[in-house]
Amino acid sequence: MMGWLPENVSTYGKDIDRLFYIIYYITGVSFLLVSGTMVVFLILYRQREGRRATYVHGNTTLEIIWTIVPAIILVVLSFMSQASWGNIKGRVPPSEVHVQVTAKQFNWEILYPGPDGKIGTADDLQMDNELHVPVGKVVRVTLKAKDVIHSFFLPNLRLKQDAVPGREIQAWFEATKPGRYELPCAELCGFGHSGMLGHLTVHTADDYNKWVKEQWPSS
Amino acid sequence: MPRGEVVTSIVDVGTEQRVEIPSRVGAPPFTGSPSGRDPFPWSPDPMVGPPVSNARLGMLVFLAFEGMFFAGLLGTFLVFRLGSQFWPPVGQPRLPILVTSANTAILLFSSWTMRNGLRAMRKGDWDGLTTGLSWTALLGTTFLIVQGSEWLRLIRHGLTLSAGIYGATFYTLIGCHGLHVLGAVIWLLIARIGLSDKRFWARRQVGVELGGMYWYFVVALWPVLFALVYLS
Amino acid sequence: MSEAVATHAVHEELGFLRTYVFSTDHKMIARQFLFLGLFMMILGGLMALMIRWQLAWPETQVPGTRWIPEPFMTDGYMNPAFYNTLFTMHATIMIFFVIMPILVGCYGNFLIPLMIGARDMAFPVLNMLSFWVGAVAGVVMLAGFFVPGGHAASGWTSYAPLSAVTQYTGVDWGQNLWCISLIILGLSSLMGSINYITTIINMRAPGMTFFRLPLVIWSLFIVAILLLLALPVLTSALAMLLLDRMAGTSFFLPAGGGEPLLWQHLFWFFGHPEVYILILPAMGIASDILSVFSRKPIFGYRAMAFSMIGIAFLSWVVWGHHMFQSGMSPALGFSFMVTTMVIAVPSAIKTFNWLGTIWGGSIRFTTPMLNALAFVSMFVVGGLSGIFMASTPVDIFIHDTYFIVAHIHYVVFGGSVFGLFAAVYYWFPKMFGRMMNEPLGKIHFFTTFIAYNCTFFAMHILGIGGMMRRIYNPMQYEFLHPLQPINVFITWSAIALGLAQIPFVINFFWSLFAGRKAERNPWKANTLEWVAPSPPPHGNFDAIPVVYRGPYEYSSPEVTEDYLPQDRQLVPQRVATAH
Ligand code: HEM
Ligand SMILES: [Cu+2]
Ligand SMILES: [Cu+2]
Repeated sequence: MMGWLPENVSTYGKDIDRLFYIIYYITGVSFLLVSGTMVVFLILYRQREGRRATYVHGNTTLEIIWTIVPAIILVVLSFMSQASWGNIKGRVPPSEVHVQVTAKQFNWEILYPGPDGKIGTADDLQMDNELHVPVGKVVRVTLKAKDVIHSFFLPNLRLKQDAVPGREIQAWFEATKPGRYELPCAELCGFGHSGMLGHLTVHTADDYNKWVKEQWPSS
Repeated sequence: MPRGEVVTSIVDVGTEQRVEIPSRVGAPPFTGSPSGRDPFPWSPDPMVGPPVSNARLGMLVFLAFEGMFFAGLLGTFLVFRLGSQFWPPVGQPRLPILVTSANTAILLFSSWTMRNGLRAMRKGDWDGLTTGLSWTALLGTTFLIVQGSEWLRLIRHGLTLSAGIYGATFYTLIGCHGLHVLGAVIWLLIARIGLSDKRFWARRQVGVELGGMYWYFVVALWPVLFALVYLS
Repeated sequence: MSEAVATHAVHEELGFLRTYVFSTDHKMIARQFLFLGLFMMILGGLMALMIRWQLAWPETQVPGTRWIPEPFMTDGYMNPAFYNTLFTMHATIMIFFVIMPILVGCYGNFLIPLMIGARDMAFPVLNMLSFWVGAVAGVVMLAGFFVPGGHAASGWTSYAPLSAVTQYTGVDWGQNLWCISLIILGLSSLMGSINYITTIINMRAPGMTFFRLPLVIWSLFIVAILLLLALPVLTSALAMLLLDRMAGTSFFLPAGGGEPLLWQHLFWFFGHPEVYILILPAMGIASDILSVFSRKPIFGYRAMAFSMIGIAFLSWVVWGHHMFQSGMSPALGFSFMVTTMVIAVPSAIKTFNWLGTIWGGSIRFTTPMLNALAFVSMFVVGGLSGIFMASTPVDIFIHDTYFIVAHIHYVVFGGSVFGLFAAVYYWFPKMFGRMMNEPLGKIHFFTTFIAYNCTFFAMHILGIGGMMRRIYNPMQYEFLHPLQPINVFITWSAIALGLAQIPFVINFFWSLFAGRKAERNPWKANTLEWVAPSPPPHGNFDAIPVVYRGPYEYSSPEVTEDYLPQDRQLVPQRVATAH
């Protein structure tokens, strides 16, 4: 089943996948236990001539055990999750690369700050649906939306973040492998929601410099 | 009981043979409505004197619904109120605190007249009930008229429903309350008109009781709204 | 008791209208809700099949839909906007017009008076109104298909601003009618819950204490409270959405100073209790049926009741788990994650108690029992998949993917709908006085169970593969191409699932007219509804029963039979036993 996860190419993606596996095994075992027990009971205790059902109303010890054990597992899971959550969504690490992504029906407007690193200056460059970043660098994304809510989804980087009109939301990722990846919108945004698709190109360091040169030849 | 000792079999002992168990509950005889006809033949309470009668309990449940409805609107108001630096936002009029304070007093006073009316009813004092309801209706109407004229003034000052979040929260919240008061006043007027016929009134006592509960609710809600919307 | 008998004798003949249409008899109202729900279920199901067709074979002609006019379909080809309408209305109809009317409206109405030993609801006229107001809501909802601009297309969650501004979707009155219909439906539910709460508190038969109530009544009681407190919040949000759409306010529009996330907070504050409203009655139903057909007392009755109460409380503090990726403060994410994990605990308790109930039983595999067992195992899958999403980092990836769709369907179809089928088979004899056909019932069950799992389990895989929910054509995305065979498989399974309902429909209508006549207590069950004739007359009981014990005294050593109805007074027959 896990083979179905898209290839992970982000630094924190492996934390997410690891949590996924942990929960997968815990829930998988729980499911097998519960359904196995059920099937065994169904066979053992099917109606048979001359046998009367046991007359019991419960068992306090058992009930306490099966309250506490799941509770502990689940609380531990929360704390394990919290570490990566804080890392991924709770902060933005220092970054050299910054882009502003404005979602609108039905495009991603990607604004590069240009060589000066500042948005809102003359050397800004806007591209639709094409996000170019270098490999191995923290990329900070400022998410905005013009009309309705969209969701910035990079399946291969395990990043999803809604873009909400009226808000500026910061997100970040660091790609570990060059390549071209898809950037769909994951939140229903109207009749063109399906097909609202951009691309993320992760360049090697050299490629990235070349791409920068092409875009801003003067500097 | 030890196993095997009193093993019995399910024999339907039948209704007559049943031993009555002592219980708080038991089917009461139907006391009947003044009209002599049971409006809902199957609904009489099987319980003797449940702590709260069906009608009152139903009304309480309904008021819980109303309470949550206002909680939704009030929550919305608070989100915007706490989220803005300037309230009222620049360029928007302040709310008329003085007039509304007086109006608050009027509404609070009406719960007293309502209480007198209900007390009179329970004592069988028909005149007392009429007076109580009349005064309450009058005070309620006054409250609405004052509110309405203040609204007109606010609208002239540019505070409209669509003039930003300030107007929108104000009119929905206060407007919903106003509508509730209006509904209650209409009910009071109907009850008041009905009072001219003593027989009608006798059959509608429960209705008057419930209306009283509703009135207390809209009155009690108002100071909360006043404090949060006008004074904060 | 004699007065009660006397009251019964007053029974007057009512005309057709007052018996079948504007009836105030809770059982007739229950049947009306049932038929409303089953009718809507067919509509919702057909919409689902159209959605599936489009996903498996995108932009091909959907069979049998040439008659659907522009702008919805062009000669059998589906337009993207109509696709959005379809999934919006599929969910809206299934949640608000199928599961709620049947589980809460029908079985709440049918079971509460019968199981607590009352002659009717506390407010029969209000009860009748509740159905008719609900029916009006249904008509208004369906009317949305016939207005210019088409029907609502912003999802059953109707996130603003998409839902708040006509230009964003092109939907005009459709969305308004959607809001209005749900406001009206809220009033219907309000009337229902006033009745349920009052009736359960005030009208229990002598001896029927709270801890002698069947668990299904407990669940309906809790559901009524949840409905009562959750729906008004939705009503207020819908009112504001309507104002935004029609009166120029901007509660949810950032341009006018509004806040889009406010809608989500209000919606999910209602929405999470709502999903428990959908599942709790099914939990109650399954508890009762498991106990009856295991011929065993329910395991841990009090734990069952208290875990439902626990769920009811906790369901108010978990709504943020729908908003982890919405831009809500990440710090809040942690609190909502913990509460969400904690709310899984009562569900786990219930599951173990169900296992405890069948343990050591003497299990009869009747159709209701099979459905109840399916409920338990499918609910387990749904609950476990919830844990993935409750973990905030994992939710980053699976939020808004088919994993969510799989979760929804495991809890709502696997849970609520199997509970619903169990209830239909189990109470059919009481409701209509005839038995349903067992072999047909089993065919229905097994085909449904298999097709259902093929359909929805595979959706987990789509979700893990990253397929977004609510997309019209997965083939537009390269990374989804490898998943397309799964989509095709799911669609075939869904078609099978649809066909598997045919035996049910046949069984239902055939049994209605020609089924074997049912005795009073065909399942040898303990609860009070089986004391009344099948079907019970207006007024239910010959005499109001007196309750002597809890509802699950199966295989009690005190009697030779393996059941001991709640209303039987045991006259110790010392004579009979050698003593
Ligand atoms: C047992 C514990 C459960 C847990 C831990 C759980 C957790 C969650 C979480 C975290 C989400 C949000 C996922 C996302 O959008 O990213 C979700 C969605 C959902 N859950 Fe559950 N859930 C549980 C049980 C249930 C039950 C019993 C029902 C209903 C009967 C239910 C119905 C739903 C529905 C309908 C949604 C999707 C709403 C939407 O976005 O359209 N869940 N659940
Ligand atoms: Cu989108
Ligand atoms: Cu939820």
